[in-house]
Amino acid sequence: MEVMLLMIDEETARNVLVTALSRGGDFAEIFAERRLVYNLRLEEGRVEENTSGYELGAGVRVMRGESVAYAYTNDLDPAALEETARVAAASSREGTTKAVSLEKPLLALPRREEEHPVLLDVGAYARDGKIDLLRRADQAAREAGPHIIQVVVMLGDARQEVFIANSLGEMVEDTRVRVRLVVQAVAAKDGEIQTGHESPGMLGGYELFHESTPEDAGRTAALQALTMLEARPAPSGPMAVVIANGTGGVLFHEACGHSLEADAVYKKASVFEGKLGRKVASPLVNAYDDATLINRWGSFSYDDEGVRASRTPLIEEGELRGFINDRKRSLRDGTAPTGNGRRQSYRFVPIPRMTNTYIEVGKSSREDVIADTALGFYARKLGGGEVNPVTGDFIFAVTEGYMIRNGKIAEPVKGATLIGNGPRVLMDIDAVADDLDFDTGMCGKEGQAVPVCTGQPTLRVREMVIGGTSEVV
Amino acid sequence: MDSGSRLQALVEEWLQAGRGLAGPGVELEVFAEEKRGLTVKAYGGELESLRYSRSRGVGVRALREGRLGYAYSSGLEREDGRRAVEEAVANSRFSEPDEHNLLPEPTEYPAGELGIYHPEAEETGSESKVEMALRLEELALERDERIARVETAVFADAVSTVAVANTRGVSGCYRSSHCSCYVFPIAGKGEEAQTGFSFDVGVKPSDLDLARVAEEASDMALSLLGSRSISSRRTTLVLDSFVAAEFLAMLAAALSAEAVLKGRSFLAGRLGETIASPLVTLVDDGTLPGLPSTSPFDDEGVPARRKELIREGVLQGYLHNTYTASRAGVASTGNASRPSFRERPRVGASNLLLEPRQGKRDDIIGQVEDGVLVLQVVGAHAGANPVSGEISLGALGLRIEKGELRQPLREITLAGKALDFLRDTVAVGEDLRIVPFEGSLGAPTVAVENVMVAGRG
Repeated sequence: MEVMLLMIDEETARNVLVTALSRGGDFAEIFAERRLVYNLRLEEGRVEENTSGYELGAGVRVMRGESVAYAYTNDLDPAALEETARVAAASSREGTTKAVSLEKPLLALPRREEEHPVLLDVGAYARDGKIDLLRRADQAAREAGPHIIQVVVMLGDARQEVFIANSLGEMVEDTRVRVRLVVQAVAAKDGEIQTGHESPGMLGGYELFHESTPEDAGRTAALQALTMLEARPAPSGPMAVVIANGTGGVLFHEACGHSLEADAVYKKASVFEGKLGRKVASPLVNAYDDATLINRWGSFSYDDEGVRASRTPLIEEGELRGFINDRKRSLRDGTAPTGNGRRQSYRFVPIPRMTNTYIEVGKSSREDVIADTALGFYARKLGGGEVNPVTGDFIFAVTEGYMIRNGKIAEPVKGATLIGNGPRVLMDIDAVADDLDFDTGMCGKEGQAVPVCTGQPTLRVREMVIGGTSEVV
Repeated sequence: MDSGSRLQALVEEWLQAGRGLAGPGVELEVFAEEKRGLTVKAYGGELESLRYSRSRGVGVRALREGRLGYAYSSGLEREDGRRAVEEAVANSRFSEPDEHNLLPEPTEYPAGELGIYHPEAEETGSESKVEMALRLEELALERDERIARVETAVFADAVSTVAVANTRGVSGCYRSSHCSCYVFPIAGKGEEAQTGFSFDVGVKPSDLDLARVAEEASDMALSLLGSRSISSRRTTLVLDSFVAAEFLAMLAAALSAEAVLKGRSFLAGRLGETIASPLVTLVDDGTLPGLPSTSPFDDEGVPARRKELIREGVLQGYLHNTYTASRAGVASTGNASRPSFRERPRVGASNLLLEPRQGKRDDIIGQVEDGVLVLQVVGAHAGANPVSGEISLGALGLRIEKGELRQPLREITLAGKALDFLRDTVAVGEDLRIVPFEGSLGAPTVAVENVMVAGRG
C-alpha cells in the first residue's frame, strides 16, 4: 500500500478538533489546503500577465445549532492550528460543554483521484507550451475576420490538495487539478463594438486541448463578436424564446438552481420552499446536479467537507424532487448529505453550492423546436444574469441572439436581455431537445467563487419578455 | 515597532534579498498585506455565523527589460518572500518585452491626516459586534409588522496594513480600518415577498447608523409590495443614489486607461468631447478624508490625488497607473489598483464621485410628470457593458405620476446606451451617498429622460 504523507497528521488533527469543541458544539472540522496556481493573460498579441501563486492555509469551523464560528491561519504548525481552534471555540457563546468522543483515531476515507484522471498534469507542461496555447487561440480569433480589433486570452491552471478532518471521526484527502481557457474577442465597425466569449475548461489537466483546441475557442469567440456587429437593436416585449444548448443552462442555474440550495430554502429565501413533491415545472423538465460527471469543470470526488460527490435529482417530470445541501443543512434538517458543501478556499466557510447543474435531454430535435416557432427569439448565447431568490425574478444578458421568423433563424439582434420569473419559465417550457451540452463558469455566492458547469439541451419557453431598445419586432 | 513599520521593514528586507536572487537588470517590486477582520451575520435573532479572517501575503512584480513576471505567496515568512521572488523572476523570462512596463519613481507622500484608521475597530470586542448585527436585524423587523423576516443582517470590519517597496526607491506603508453593516429585510403579503436593503460604512463601529440603515431597508421592501410590470414605453427615470452609483461602476470601467488603450471602452478617443449633460461633473479623488478608498498612495506606491474626469459634460481624462501613463505619454493619476497581494496592479478608481448639485430626491421626483423611480437594478455586471456602452438591466421601483410616487413595479427592464443616459441627464441632486463597491462610488439622485422601459404589459 502506498504511504501517503498527510498535510496534517492524524494526532494533530484530533487534538485540534478536541480544542475546537472544548467549549461545546455539535460539529467541528479542519479544512487545510495547498494550492499552486498559474495564470497567463495575452492581450494585444502579447503575454502581459504571467503569474504564479502559492497558497497554504487551514480553517477551523465549530458548529453549534444554527451558529457557525470560523477562523483560519496560513500556518500549519500544530501550535498555530491549536490557536486557530481556540479562536473558533471562543466565539461559541456560553453554554454546556458537550462531551465529544474522539478517543479513537480518525478514519481515513479512501482517496478517489482515479475517478477523474489527469493525463497531463499542470506541472508536466512547460511555461512556453502554455503560452503557445494562448497564441494559437489569439491567432485563430484574429484570422476570423478583419473587424476583430482585440483579443484577450486567459489561461489558468490550478492544483489544489485538500485535507479535511471532522468530529464525525473522518479524514479525507483529495487533489483537484483544473485547467480553463477563456477567450474574449472584440469586433468593431463604424463606431459599433461587440464582444464574443468562449471558455473551455475541465477538472483535469492539459489534455483538455486534445478535444477542444485553442483554435476552436478563438474562432467561436470571434465569430460571435462578428455576428453581433451586423445585428440590429433587439425588440422589446413578450415573445416565444428558444434557448440554445450549453450556455443557456446558466438561466436554469441562476433562476432556479440557487433557489434549490438548502440554505436559501431554510431561510425561506427560495421560491421552492415547501414545494417538495409538488409540480414546479412542465412535465418535460428533468434536472440534476451531478458532481460525478467525469472530468467536468464542476466535478470532484469529495466536496469541501469531505462528503462524497453525488448525482442529485432536482426536478423529475416536472415534480420537485430535492434540494442540494451542505453538512450543516443535512445535520440540521435531518436530510441525507448531497455532497454540495463547497468553498472558494480555506479562507471561507463552506455553503451549499451547485456543481454541474443541468436540464436533462428531451425527445425533440433542435431543428423541430425552431421549425415549430413562427415568431420568436433565439438566445444562442447568454451572458451573466441576476436573480432575486425570493421572488424568482431574473434578468439575463443575451450575448448572441437572433429573431426566429417562420420557423427559421433570421437576423441577429443585439442588446437584448431576457427578463422573467424562474418558476413561471419552468412551467412555460414547451419543448426540450436532445442535444445536451455544458458550459463552464465561476459561480459567485456570498463573496465566494467556485467552478461550476451549466448545461441544457435546446429548449423553448412559451413566452418571456425581451428587453431591447427597438420598438419594432 | 507598529504593524506598519514592521511590514515596511519586511518588504525592504525582501527587496534587498530579491536583488541578489534576481541578478542584475531585473527591477523588483514587493507588495505585502496583512488584514484582520471579523464578519458577523445574524439571522432569526441568533448569531448565524462569525468569521475571523487573518489574511497575509506577499506579491512580487519582476521586470526584466520590460518583461513582466508576477508571483505571490500566502504568508509572511521568509520562505514566502523568497518563493515569490524566484517565481516572479522565472515568469518574467517568458513574457514579451513592453517598454512601458515600468516601476514608479519615488515621490514624497502627503503628510496630511487621511482619517482612514481608528483604533476603535480593534478595541471593540467581538461580543459588541455580534450585538450590532443582532440589533440591526431587530430594528429592521420592528419597523413594520409586514416585515416578515430578515434574510441577513451583517456587521463586518477589517484592519489592513499595506506596504510596498521597489528597486527605484519607492517605499511606503499605511494602515486603514473599515467597518460596514447591511441588512436585507423581506416584506411579505400573501404569496408576495419583496426584498429591500441598505447599508452604512465608516472607519469605526460607532460611525454606523444602525437605525437609519434598518429604516431605509425595511421601507424599500415595503414600498415594493404589490408590484407588477407595466407596458413598454419611453419615459423619465429617477435613479436612487444607490442605483446611480451602480452606473458609475460602469463608467469607472470605461474610464480606465487600460480599457481605453486596449479598445475596450466606449469612451476611447473622446477626450475633450462633450459626452454628457453639463450637469455631470465626475471626480476621482483618493485624498478625501475618511472615505473607503482614501490612501496616501495607490497600489504601486504613486501618491493618491484628485482629478476631474468629466467637467460639466466634457471628458477631461482617464484613470492611469504607471504603465498606461507611459503608453499614453502622461503622468500616472495614482490609480494603480489590485484587490489583494494575489494580483499585479491594474487600473481602478479610488473614490469616484458624481458631484452633487441641487435638490433632494423628493424635489426631483416632484418635477417628473410621468416616469419611474428606480430603487434596484438587477444584472448590472452583465447588463451594463463598459466595452460597448450598452445598458440593459432589470429594475424594481415605483411609477411616478404628476410628481407623486404610485404603483410599485417589478419585471421591467431599462435599456439604452450609456452615452444617451449621460446626455439625457436632466437632474443631479444634492444627496450624495457613498457606496463601498468596486472601490468606492458616490452619487446623488439622478434623473434621466427618454429611456426605453420594457415590461409585460
